[in-house]
Amino acid sequence: MDNSEDFSQFKRQSKKGILIIYLNLLYKALKAFWILLFLFIQKFSKISETTFNYIYLGVFVVLVFFLVRAFLIFKNFQFKIENNHFILKRGIIKKINTSIPFDRIQHINFKQNIIQQIINVHEVNIETAGSAKAEISIKALSFKEAKALKNALTIFDKKNVTQETVITEKPLLKVGFLELIKVSLTENHLQSLVLLFAVLIGFYQQISELFEGLGKREVLDDYISENTSTLETSVFLIVSLLIFFTVIAVLSSLVRVVLRHFNLTVFVKNNALEIYQGLTTKNSVILKKDKVQHITVSTNPIKKKLGISFITFKQAISGKVKKKQHKIIKIVGCKLAQVSTIKELLFPNENLEGFDKNYPDAYFRARLYFRSILFFLVLNIVLYFGFESLHVFWMNALLVPIFIFFIELKLRKRYYLFNDELLLLGSGSIETHKTYLPFFKVQNVKLKQTIFQAKKNVADVVFQTASGKIKIPCISMENALKIYNYTLFKIETSQKLWM
Amino acid sequence: MADIFQNNTVTHFPDISKINFKSIEKKYLKVILLNIGIVFTILFVAAFMVDYKNLLELKQHSIGLYLIVFIMLLITLFVKIVGFKKRKYAVREKDISYKKGLFFRTLTTVPFNRIQHVEIDQGPISRYFNLVTLSVFTAGDSSDDLKISGLVKEEAVQIKEFISNQIDG
Repeated sequence: MDNSEDFSQFKRQSKKGILIIYLNLLYKALKAFWILLFLFIQKFSKISETTFNYIYLGVFVVLVFFLVRAFLIFKNFQFKIENNHFILKRGIIKKINTSIPFDRIQHINFKQNIIQQIINVHEVNIETAGSAKAEISIKALSFKEAKALKNALTIFDKKNVTQETVITEKPLLKVGFLELIKVSLTENHLQSLVLLFAVLIGFYQQISELFEGLGKREVLDDYISENTSTLETSVFLIVSLLIFFTVIAVLSSLVRVVLRHFNLTVFVKNNALEIYQGLTTKNSVILKKDKVQHITVSTNPIKKKLGISFITFKQAISGKVKKKQHKIIKIVGCKLAQVSTIKELLFPNENLEGFDKNYPDAYFRARLYFRSILFFLVLNIVLYFGFESLHVFWMNALLVPIFIFFIELKLRKRYYLFNDELLLLGSGSIETHKTYLPFFKVQNVKLKQTIFQAKKNVADVVFQTASGKIKIPCISMENALKIYNYTLFKIETSQKLWM
Repeated sequence: MADIFQNNTVTHFPDISKINFKSIEKKYLKVILLNIGIVFTILFVAAFMVDYKNLLELKQHSIGLYLIVFIMLLITLFVKIVGFKKRKYAVREKDISYKKGLFFRTLTTVPFNRIQHVEIDQGPISRYFNLVTLSVFTAGDSSDDLKISGLVKEEAVQIKEFISNQIDG
């Protein structure tokens, strides 16, 4: 452990931080006003000389204002460590004092975007399970400081100090570039495409909002509809568009995976996992073992052939930050042995092998079919009235077998099994997910039953954890009640730290 | 199918299905009915406005519009009145449970040692009847925790005190 840095006195971040804060402010401003800039460039030739001078002056004033602001933010940003609390003072006019007890810290993560890489500073983010406000981001620290701060914060348990010296610096897992390509080729490309579309639609909305503001909305809409109406007549175009989208989907998976997980390395240190990854933005996450609520090990048929799967870690989230898509911590490209090492670290001595799988009640199949029949009914009616042609019913010939295939896959992959401490839930259709949940991490238990389920005497069991719901659907009432009672028994007798 | 539970001494665990649940206060039905009354008065007024001003141009279907609202009222009344008897709660030594629902039945149990805080609040109509709502919050994504409406204020305060003591102790 590095004790050379002293955090008992108030400390500022590295002076390079001013630059980072400055650029960050500029970036935010640009992000908000980029459309104005775009318009400005369009009308470049129409602007007179004198207006130009005013514009230059305005830009200059804004730049200077941001610089002063950045300097003040830097100046007022001070932190120290006292009595196992991380204390932070910040704010230029409105002074904010934050104090976080160590054991409330969820994880600490290091980040480096391109600029931070160039000037060699690290951003340290401290995240808590408590209120969203307590999330802290220190923009610029030297690596030495960052590491020392991290060590000072992770050792809240005095007993761990001695253990900390026996760090195994050998990584548990390292994913090379070739393996990453393997991972990205076996990703869910449809999901990548949807993500890409979401970004593009966001862009489109931003533009159309602006045009609407300028009363030019119709122009844009006309332009788009003119170009799409020709599409509908040409099958050739649609086919080539499909191919184009496939290529785009695969490429965007590739870019997404490589950008995010480049050089993925995972270290195990006594009570925590350290994950390093990223290309343009380097990320390092320290995940405390006790804070993990449940993990999901996922794979798909191609990944399975290659012997890789990915692990998703779920930590406690605060109800307030729910809107913000909270960061999902994921390790991609795990080999079987590495998966079991991580399992062993999180749930030591929990062996689930040899326990029998329990499958949902037959009613589960009936429910899945019933729901898809409902879906088809609505779809058919809507399309029939939409196109006013009987031909639309032909699509059922294609869709129904696909649905049946998926339902049967889903049924086969749904199971649950458990030992004294740990519950394992299998799910998925094309992909296979295995979720591991220790009983004592559960916050509340629910038994849900529709009136149809009540007739068949089956029920859903829903476990509410600090990081979301986990459901066992449609099991016999008798088993459901047993699990219900047992879970309550485990929670109420457990003395372990659950978050 | 070998059931692992049967290897454990399951019978010794306290069984949730064996405890006696308590119904919530009968007076609360009046609160529910009043609330439904207010909502449907607004809906009927809205329907009348649509009809009178001919907003949606469905003059000849105006009876249908009233009929839809009326059927909705009947369904809501049926679900709420029959379902009212299903609203039951139980406080045990270490947890609190609540069940409700006619078509969609749920039973929720929150153990005391996972509770972050307990709240009591009161709507304007409930105040008139001296009834309160007791809400229990756990950590993390606690949107789906336990909320019991229609408790007599004194009793709710007692439960709150009891839970607070259990959390601290």
